[in-house]
Amino acid sequence: MFRKGPVRHIDGGYRVDVDAAHRRVLADLISQLRDEVMGNAGDDRFRRLFPVAYHEDPDHDGEYQRLMHGELLASRLDAITTALTTLGRDAQSDSIDINDAELDAMMRSFNDLRLVLGTLLDVHEDDHIEPPADDPAFAHFQLYGYLGWLLEWLVQAQQEARDDR
Amino acid sequence: MRVSETEVLPHRNVEGDSAEHTDIDRPWIVLVWNDPINLMSYVTFVLQKVFGYSKEKATALMLDVHHKGRAVVSSGTREHAEIDVYRLHEHGLWATMQREDNG
Repeated sequence: MFRKGPVRHIDGGYRVDVDAAHRRVLADLISQLRDEVMGNAGDDRFRRLFPVAYHEDPDHDGEYQRLMHGELLASRLDAITTALTTLGRDAQSDSIDINDAELDAMMRSFNDLRLVLGTLLDVHEDDHIEPPADDPAFAHFQLYGYLGWLLEWLVQAQQEARDDR
Repeated sequence: MRVSETEVLPHRNVEGDSAEHTDIDRPWIVLVWNDPINLMSYVTFVLQKVFGYSKEKATALMLDVHHKGRAVVSSGTREHAEIDVYRLHEHGLWATMQREDNG
């Protein structure tokens, strides 16, 4: 079935047709997220990035978090570093070719951004209505939607690659 | 009063010990909870990637999460459950772990 999107499975990897200006904006957002998370990982804005592990068991969870929080933070920062390098490649080109690991890092980083934006915007399951264009949150909802659209295509391309194997 | 307290305490300890003992045999389960942010396709992909589940199984679990609010995605020892929860958290899913029959 013919379809056209910004990401497609190609031989040996994926082609991402996101122009250089958009990639710079995405890289800038991810680096802002990195700086904020590094400085304030315990902040309530980032609760979706560092969730509770033990359901209704604060003692075990405290122990778990002491052991795993640093590792989870490092893993998130690793993905962001890879995503930044990938987005910055071929800075004059309107598309980049990426491998599985780079696709994975981009998916995780964009999803992290969505989790934080969605938390700040207090997104609910049944919210399909964007605020009016003069609402201060309008741009953030637009960005949230754009990231979701891009992530959806990254997931689909990955799924296509799986189906082809 | 003192006498009755000392009579009650050993009894309470025995109960605690036996509860602890049966706990050891119960496996841990890993739950993924519905959330309004993660895309359905992304949740399916993560379940395939982390657990090696088929697309069909991962999709069925994702739909369970979506419709029922949560789904058990794996079970086993506490150590395995902790690893699974960690890997799901790495991918931004809302995952928790608990003893099997704990609500």
